Amino acid sequence: MNMKPINFVIGGLGGQGILFMTKILAKTALQKGFKVMGAETHGMAQRGGSVISHLRLGDVKSSLVKAGDADFLLALEENEAYRNLPFLAKQGVLCSNRSSGNFPLPEVEGYLRKGGITCHSIEAGRLSFELGAPMSTNLALLGYFTTLDKSPFTREEFRKTIEEMSPDVYKEINLKVFDKGASAEEK
Amino acid sequence: MTEDFLLGNGAIALGLLEAGCQVVTSYPGTPSSEILPEVVRLKKAEKLNTYVEWSTNEKVALDNAFAAAITGKRTACCMKQVGLNVAADSLMSAAYLGTVGGMVIISCDDPGPHSSQTEQDTRLMARLAKVPVLDPATPQEAREMAGIAFNISETFSVPVILRPAIRVCHARQNMKWAALLDRDTKASFKKDPMRWAATPKFRFRLHQELNQKLKDISQHFDSLQPFNSHNLEPEKHYPLGVISGGVPYAVIQDILSDAGRDDIPLLKLGAPYPLPQKLADEFVTACDKVLVVEETDTLIEYLLRDRSKVLGRLSGDVPLEGELIPERIEQIISQVLSGMRLHPLSIKASREAQDIVAGLDLPIRRPTLCPGCPHRSAFYTIRKTRPKAIFTSDIGCYTLGLNLGGVDTCLDMGAAITMASGLYHAHAQDEVQQPIVATIGDSTFYHSGTAGLLSAVYNDARFVLVVLDNQTTAMTGMQPTPGLGVRADGSQGKTIPLERVIKGCGIEFLEVLDPYDIKGMRATLKRAFDYTKAPDGGIAVIIARHPCIIAYRDLAVANRIKVGISDDCIACNHCIDRFECPALFHDPVREKTAIDQALCIGCGVCLEVCPKSAIIEMDIE
Repeated sequence: MNMKPINFVIGGLGGQGILFMTKILAKTALQKGFKVMGAETHGMAQRGGSVISHLRLGDVKSSLVKAGDADFLLALEENEAYRNLPFLAKQGVLCSNRSSGNFPLPEVEGYLRKGGITCHSIEAGRLSFELGAPMSTNLALLGYFTTLDKSPFTREEFRKTIEEMSPDVYKEINLKVFDKGASAEEK
Repeated sequence: MTEDFLLGNGAIALGLLEAGCQVVTSYPGTPSSEILPEVVRLKKAEKLNTYVEWSTNEKVALDNAFAAAITGKRTACCMKQVGLNVAADSLMSAAYLGTVGGMVIISCDDPGPHSSQTEQDTRLMARLAKVPVLDPATPQEAREMAGIAFNISETFSVPVILRPAIRVCHARQNMKWAALLDRDTKASFKKDPMRWAATPKFRFRLHQELNQKLKDISQHFDSLQPFNSHNLEPEKHYPLGVISGGVPYAVIQDILSDAGRDDIPLLKLGAPYPLPQKLADEFVTACDKVLVVEETDTLIEYLLRDRSKVLGRLSGDVPLEGELIPERIEQIISQVLSGMRLHPLSIKASREAQDIVAGLDLPIRRPTLCPGCPHRSAFYTIRKTRPKAIFTSDIGCYTLGLNLGGVDTCLDMGAAITMASGLYHAHAQDEVQQPIVATIGDSTFYHSGTAGLLSAVYNDARFVLVVLDNQTTAMTGMQPTPGLGVRADGSQGKTIPLERVIKGCGIEFLEVLDPYDIKGMRATLKRAFDYTKAPDGGIAVIIARHPCIIAYRDLAVANRIKVGISDDCIACNHCIDRFECPALFHDPVREKTAIDQALCIGCGVCLEVCPKSAIIEMDIE
């Protein structure tokens, strides 16, 4: 099988659950039969700094996504979405948590349009906060991601992984936040 | 068969146990910290008898592993690259003595650096110590190399270094494995004082033996497939070839295969030292030029005898510092190709995206202490009490006291104390009374605090030492300390309280307090400073004890309150700038400070901080 690899870059801040989100993506991909390589940030940067993780599905040797090669950029925060823009390939998909009414900024929007990059965003942070799970922005965004046409994974596939991976005490709320994200409207 | 999506460090743990490694020691440090916990996890799952320990520092870890190895067992010790500096004394000597059972020293590099003081290259330490080194490109390869390393170590009777870089340690890959079995070698130490306690005369002979071993290993490495190999076609000559190893090798494979460039041959050196001379000569001969792309420093390039054809760091084609990320490597290869008037690579990374991002003036996300972190209130109080003091600090989460103006120096493990001592004597010599406050974490104190403290007490230095005791090794992922007494496998060991160690170092002023109590800590700090100035005084030590907010979430904040901002706030930003809690921010609409309730942990320490008493406890609705 020598298909083109699918590259994900996931960006956010330390403490937002980037690693958990990456694991859900990876486990779901493995269950679909993909070969998976990932790269994570640990240590100092996890204390509130920018955190980024790479996930590559397919027959690749290196765990890092090259700038200009990411098919999907998932961002848990607007600024981290911008910061990681250089990773996105032309025709790629940006899927971001949004907190302002001004996302993406006009200067970015022009660049995205020119490169055929589609931009989708929801207020994943607000959604999860309203459900009493402010730490679960990651799951709300993941839910929302499944509603996008290009998503390689379905809502049911992620749901199954989340159910398997969540500790018992968090299972119910995790799925609730995920489902809320999966049924959210974009604007 | 078991299957899991393993972290690189988990893959290393798996490789060690597959090879029947019987003893694993470590001191945590990014990016190596997860190796030992993964060994513990696998050992428990597979019911193995492996001995595991968190040693107090890397030298202790290496010595312990070495001792077990000379009884014939297979052993490993794991550390980060700067940890190998701590163990260097032991490494250099162990190389001469050699080993009986296989011994693998795992030293994880951090090109970037992402989480280290330096970008040093462990392969150069291997060269200095004269021990072979393996450099894996992927987690799977790290797993395989861990096994091969034991064979090399036993065949040539020499410790072997495995050097995974951070992109191997913290990469993830799917792995399957069959049941793991205990190796049954019993400890059998054969007395041989001429070797195990060799005097300089015998050391000369051991050095000769070591040099012979290196020659033999170099030949062995010529045919160490697939770790050392090239893809030259017989009789063919190439304008440019690339030599690489480790993580950059994997990146280059992807780049060349994406670009369909099978006109550029690749020599992989997964075992670069001692250099496989024949293999390297063969490759260089077949090319007009060879580009060496290696991480982090210059090893292979120096080892190549005929450097007239070689491009790399010495020729200015490869940057001297920083991580060789894929787009950088692509750029390097492409520029070399252009320079030789060969067809360059087509680069997808867009300058435009970078320019737009640069133009957005995005906030710099510096790492910060967590909301509710006890270090925050300690630093705030220390600085508030003696703003003009020099603040020496150390390696750990609390290096982030930088953000609160509470850290002026950070050199290496234990240097909070030794630098405080050095700074004291430098000023005292001029008859200047310079207040100095040293801050060090509990784990770092156990690691290398005592030698410095003994020396400082003995030489009558005067400073205040605050041991920030959060009862764990927080930065590297909550490993236990001797103060906790819990061992690497979760079993109970002996507890050695900080108080006993500190008193044992000759300290007479020792107070234990909770840094959440800002007023109380201020009062104690003042008495501590007085003591450092008294003629019959000395070094004053304060243990600021409060559990880490991440490790002990519920225990750390027993009474959570809802924090709010009253109308008395004048937006002076004292709390934001000086206390620097991530939950405090300026609300431009209300023109006051506001609380991010999603981040606030409700510790209420900031109530003490506001000069206008405008941070208040709210009713929980």
